[in-house]
Amino acid sequence: MSVSRGRSRRSHVVVTCALLAASVWLASVSGASSARSVADLPPEAIPEFVEVPAGPFLMGAGPATDPDAFDNERWSPTAAQGTVDLPTFYMARHEVTVAQFAAFAKAGTWRVDPRALAAPPDHPVAFVSWPDALAYGRWLDAGLKRSSSLPAWLRARLDEGWRVTLPTEAEWEKAARGADGRRFPWGHDPDPARANYQRAGTAPVGQFACPACAFGLADMSGNVWEWTASPYQPYPYDPDNLRATIDDDALWVMRGGHFGDPARLVRTTTRGGADPGARRAFIGFRVVLTGRRF
Amino acid sequence: MGGAFLAPLAFTAGLLALTLVPRIGDHPALRWSFWGAAAVLLAWQAALAVRSRREGVPVLHLPTPRPQHYVQALCQIGIYAYWGWHWPPVYDFMPLLAGQLLFAFAFDLLLAWSRREPYQLGFGPFPIILSTNLFLWFTDDWFSLQFLLVAVGFLGKAFVRWERDGRRVHIFNPSAFTLAIFSVALLLTDSTHLTWGQEIATTFGAGPNIYLVVFTVGLVVMYFFSITPVTASAAATLFGASALYGAVTGVPYFIDSEIPAAVFLGLHLLVTDPSTSPRTPLGRGLFGVLYGLSVFALYAVLGAIGLPTFYDKLMAVPLLNLAVPGIDRLVRAIGERPVLERLGLTGPLGRLNPAHMAVWIVLFAAMAARGGADGMHRGDALPFWEQACSDERPQACERLIRLEVSYCGDNAGWACNELGRHYVEGRLVPADLDLAFVYFSRACETRFQPACLNLLEPSAALGGDPRALDLRLLLREGGHNLLDMPEPDLYARACRHGWSFACDRQAASR
Repeated sequence: MSVSRGRSRRSHVVVTCALLAASVWLASVSGASSARSVADLPPEAIPEFVEVPAGPFLMGAGPATDPDAFDNERWSPTAAQGTVDLPTFYMARHEVTVAQFAAFAKAGTWRVDPRALAAPPDHPVAFVSWPDALAYGRWLDAGLKRSSSLPAWLRARLDEGWRVTLPTEAEWEKAARGADGRRFPWGHDPDPARANYQRAGTAPVGQFACPACAFGLADMSGNVWEWTASPYQPYPYDPDNLRATIDDDALWVMRGGHFGDPARLVRTTTRGGADPGARRAFIGFRVVLTGRRF
Repeated sequence: MGGAFLAPLAFTAGLLALTLVPRIGDHPALRWSFWGAAAVLLAWQAALAVRSRREGVPVLHLPTPRPQHYVQALCQIGIYAYWGWHWPPVYDFMPLLAGQLLFAFAFDLLLAWSRREPYQLGFGPFPIILSTNLFLWFTDDWFSLQFLLVAVGFLGKAFVRWERDGRRVHIFNPSAFTLAIFSVALLLTDSTHLTWGQEIATTFGAGPNIYLVVFTVGLVVMYFFSITPVTASAAATLFGASALYGAVTGVPYFIDSEIPAAVFLGLHLLVTDPSTSPRTPLGRGLFGVLYGLSVFALYAVLGAIGLPTFYDKLMAVPLLNLAVPGIDRLVRAIGERPVLERLGLTGPLGRLNPAHMAVWIVLFAAMAARGGADGMHRGDALPFWEQACSDERPQACERLIRLEVSYCGDNAGWACNELGRHYVEGRLVPADLDLAFVYFSRACETRFQPACLNLLEPSAALGGDPRALDLRLLLREGGHNLLDMPEPDLYARACRHGWSFACDRQAASR
């Protein structure tokens, strides 16, 4: 009887120990997965913004102005181009890099596709969906607003309610072609030495020096297509009809072409459209600092 | 000495051999789980081999197969076959199930020999493993815990025992014991995401007529083991309590069923272990009533504290197992009273299994006729919950949110956008713009355009009608999505669910 009781007591101890071990294991697992930190914005995440001054520019293209123009670049049945007047905005000089996106991923507030972090850190980030790009902008915007080490002009803009997000299609095109209606950011003729296109893969952002490019922006042609904040609609471009697309099954505009594209697709007026959920090796983005509401 | 040790070695070798199957071998965490489990078993065998030099060779019996093992196992296999037909991950899981069976045999055998007991090599581990896996699996990355889950079940069976009717027997239903332990641990550590529990509970009802299938399979078990009173009384309790709640509050208790399909399965294959149930039909009836009440209560408690409600069916069984002697004593005490004799509950009819089964068949038919089994349930319709929420019916808004979370998880963009709007508005849930942004993103990635616009300006919280793609998910009534349903039928069904825009569209197309 006492032997049986002793054995039973030992049995209970064994079971209890096993269960405790399981609980501790699970607790450590749970702790590890729930440990998220809201880190301060790392210096490398702060983009270099370039001012694009307020004023009108010519948007769109047609065969009369550009023999390579696609039909979807034509402003209207009667005009190849239209004039769009934009207030001042600040475009990031470079596409968002893998390193910058990794800082966002590390903050742990957004689930990113692991493929987005697989390329070298100074290459443009790819494999990002349209919401991923907007989420990055939102994170960067919040981080900049919290930051205590910003240039005075940037702090002033943010304090006025400006925000970091994706550029609209018009902002992108103006930043790429300038006010003088260029076919390519550097001028009228294609030049593979000035941008990463017709090649096998992405290149580090800014590797192709282009001092002649409008506003000194890098990689506006090639490297990766860049998401914009505009739904893909026929021209003429109207920034105020965003809500008119509510019943559409819309694609979202991307601009600039990618590393493997021919010259025709990396022109400043070329319009691409992609499913907002698309994560591809050739789609990335850059951010803008803007005072517009949407 | 060598002969007796061949059995556990063979099971362990089988476990290792399974890592050659691509499903296991191609996944590093799975492969290591299997190797780890095999290493533990091999080390244990080595230790026993050393001991056997001193104490002699352990004994292995090959007894006649016992029907409570193989009949249960066959019924469970039938359930897996049907479930897997309608949810392919079940078939994909089969190599992992086989691994658990091999592990269970080896573990049980070594456990017996460690305790200096002979081992009865039969079908015993089958129903334990099969019933455990009908309710909970760990994901591939955490599959080592599945082996621990199995081990705990067998440890409970071997060590947690008591004297009952002059025999030393295990107290707990082994699968229910380990499921309950792990359920509590997973809930306490907020680690439910390590398992497929929610998917299992949700997809179990995906097959058409699942209640009828479980009922039919359950009849086979009932025919052999006289456990009908447990199932019937638990089902009657749950159905009755559900109906009463619905009548008082105007909304169903279990959202989209009178008894959830996975709970209905539990009534048949989890709580019905004859050796850990009361002895008499009346006792088993009481046992079932208590199980029904406990599921009913746990569902409310888990839901109220924001925990996954599918654990409701898993947590109470060990406590009920502990109550079995008390139930038996109670039945003995009241069984002497003439009123039970007059009701026939102590006479031949009260003990007659076919009579119990007949009562259960009638009861199930009544439940089915009242919409408590297969077919559309009023809680399947989202407009019903939207209306109930705006009417401020009890729990209606919480359940609306829960349904939308579930449909959003299925990639219904409309549901994700609605959730985002709730988190912007802060009326049904506390305002949380970050979470709203996450939901809008999910909706936008399914090309639900209002959600994409909401990402640009979350405070706008724009809404829209569900698209056909969304309706194929929202109208599935607990079963499969309706990818092949022609659009006119889809909109007709949506209209039946109370979507007014679908009724308008239907009318316009006539």
